[in-house]
Amino acid sequence: MTADPLPLPEPAAAADGPPPVILLRGVTKVYRMGLEEVRALDGVDLRIDPNEFVAIMGPSGSGKSTLMNILGLLDVPTGGRYWLAGRDVARLSQSEQARERGRRIGFVFQTFELLPRQTALQNVELPLIYSGVRDRRARAAEALRQVGLADRMTHRPNQMSGGQRQRVAIARALVQEPALILADEPTGNLDTRTSEEILDLFDDLHDRGQTIVLVTHEPDIAARCRRVVRLRDGRVESDGPGGLSEDRETISC
Amino acid sequence: MLILANVRGALEQVWANRLRSVLTVLGIVIAVTSTITVVSVVQGFTGYVSDFLQGLGTNAMWIWPERPGGEAGKRLGRVTLDLKDVQALQAECSTLRSLSPLIPRPSATVSMGRTEVTTQLEGVSAEYHTIRNLPVEVGRPFTFLDIERRHPVCVLGREVLRKLERGDDIVGRTLLVDGRRFRVVGILAEKGSVLGNSQDDLVLIPYTMALTMYPSTRTTIALAAQALDEAQVPEAKAQVVSILRRRHRLDAYQPNDFQIRTQDEILTAFNSISIVATAVLAGIVGISLLVGGIGIMNVMLVSVTERTREIGLRKAVGARRRDIMLQFLTEAVCLSLLGGGLGVGLGYGITAIVSLHPQMVDVAVPAWAVLLGFGISAGTGVAFGILPALKAALLNPIDALRHE
Repeated sequence: MTADPLPLPEPAAAADGPPPVILLRGVTKVYRMGLEEVRALDGVDLRIDPNEFVAIMGPSGSGKSTLMNILGLLDVPTGGRYWLAGRDVARLSQSEQARERGRRIGFVFQTFELLPRQTALQNVELPLIYSGVRDRRARAAEALRQVGLADRMTHRPNQMSGGQRQRVAIARALVQEPALILADEPTGNLDTRTSEEILDLFDDLHDRGQTIVLVTHEPDIAARCRRVVRLRDGRVESDGPGGLSEDRETISC
Repeated sequence: MLILANVRGALEQVWANRLRSVLTVLGIVIAVTSTITVVSVVQGFTGYVSDFLQGLGTNAMWIWPERPGGEAGKRLGRVTLDLKDVQALQAECSTLRSLSPLIPRPSATVSMGRTEVTTQLEGVSAEYHTIRNLPVEVGRPFTFLDIERRHPVCVLGREVLRKLERGDDIVGRTLLVDGRRFRVVGILAEKGSVLGNSQDDLVLIPYTMALTMYPSTRTTIALAAQALDEAQVPEAKAQVVSILRRRHRLDAYQPNDFQIRTQDEILTAFNSISIVATAVLAGIVGISLLVGGIGIMNVMLVSVTERTREIGLRKAVGARRRDIMLQFLTEAVCLSLLGGGLGVGLGYGITAIVSLHPQMVDVAVPAWAVLLGFGISAGTGVAFGILPALKAALLNPIDALRHE
């Protein structure tokens, strides 16, 4: 099943400190398109430790979305292994997948994906409903406070600006205290100034210990991350430190 | 907890699409309305008819001469039923408690002073009071002597009193019935009306008197009889038939030249009417439930498509297939229960309006009909909500989130 060159130890037992948030070993994803096979991911190895702030970049068709779907447990890999916070999640059943997804991963989408008829508070409560948590209201309110929307709790999405909506979405991602926040082009629908605010908020969360993976194709956004993973043709092309100073064009393996 | 959230969400959804929801549930509204209305009316009639039949007497049966239909009937000689037959029945029928000749005149003139009214007349015997459950409220019933001696006495129904504009003091006074003087000896207890026909518009006189007044009825006497008890009714009927056939010298191949009806048979006849009504109801309900159910399924499918991204998001934040399934099933059931509620309300309204008609029987909506209405609407919601809910539950979250 796996194409591991080395016999890997179980990551939970792997030496020092807490297990990595994400550990991918030889992950492949193959789609069938008629008779043709498309290898969207072709043996991806990736390790993300707690409190990392990683950007995943790549041109369209590089397998970036597929990787995000697999990381987010929205899809299962064809081959390879995936440990999420120490648990092997590559072959989970549908409902276990949903449960893990709800508990360990907070999604932030480009288009916010708030429920239009629900207040900010109700939107943030949504993940807690599915995980059956008791003090939903209090936890949702706390999450909204963290993103600076304590005074907007009873507003509906159409009464808020784009930046505020994305903050609600981030609060919704935070409310389960997930191992990982997975943001897919979170500033794609926002103007520059608001984008800055949202990225500042991510920085802020990172400073407080949150692990964040940000999928983007905008280099200056990736540049703000501590680490940038570039994909090309379903493989990791480069994996190195980000930073504004670095020359974007010439990162090599 | 999740269920509560589901119900709240479903109600919000129904409210957000008010017009669409109401139009969708029209079929269910019709189904439940017709259930409630027809059940209530049939129930009302059934209760009424059984009350009426109880009022007609206990374990009663009626016998009257009648030429049977068809060739066989034409070949019979004179069709008669006379006093000798009556006496024979009285003497030989061991299973009959009592027997009374019944000489009905659908219209007779009763006049008192200058007031003249038309009413029904029945020539009967003293036993008639018990057979028909016609107790006397004021004055006295007929006695054996009244009948035997052909006394010119009569007992009046309340409606006749009202028509004559007289009170209870009429007892002891005289009036004219079809030109003959009669003394009023009693007033019958009120019985109410059936389908607008008063049962109290009635004058009773001794049948011996009636035979004298209307000689043509001598050979066409009808009878009211009472069996010893309920179990003896069929036996009594058989005895009457055999005695009359023997007396009328009918051969085995010849049909009866009389009719005999028991209370049970009348009830059975009525029940067959209510079975037809119920079958018609079932047809209406079935068709409108089908239409309504398909309407709900259609709207739910539209709703699932409209909310594909929402479904994707819910899955992304941890909803399992069964959570999504339950959410949409709850919505379908809420929608159909809305239809059920409207239908119950409308059913109540229609039965209330129907009851306003003065000649209508008392119609009450039975509680079980309301429960049935809600039950069938919820059932429709589940049955026709499953497909859309399944479609929603099986959506792939990635595709759902990318849906435009």
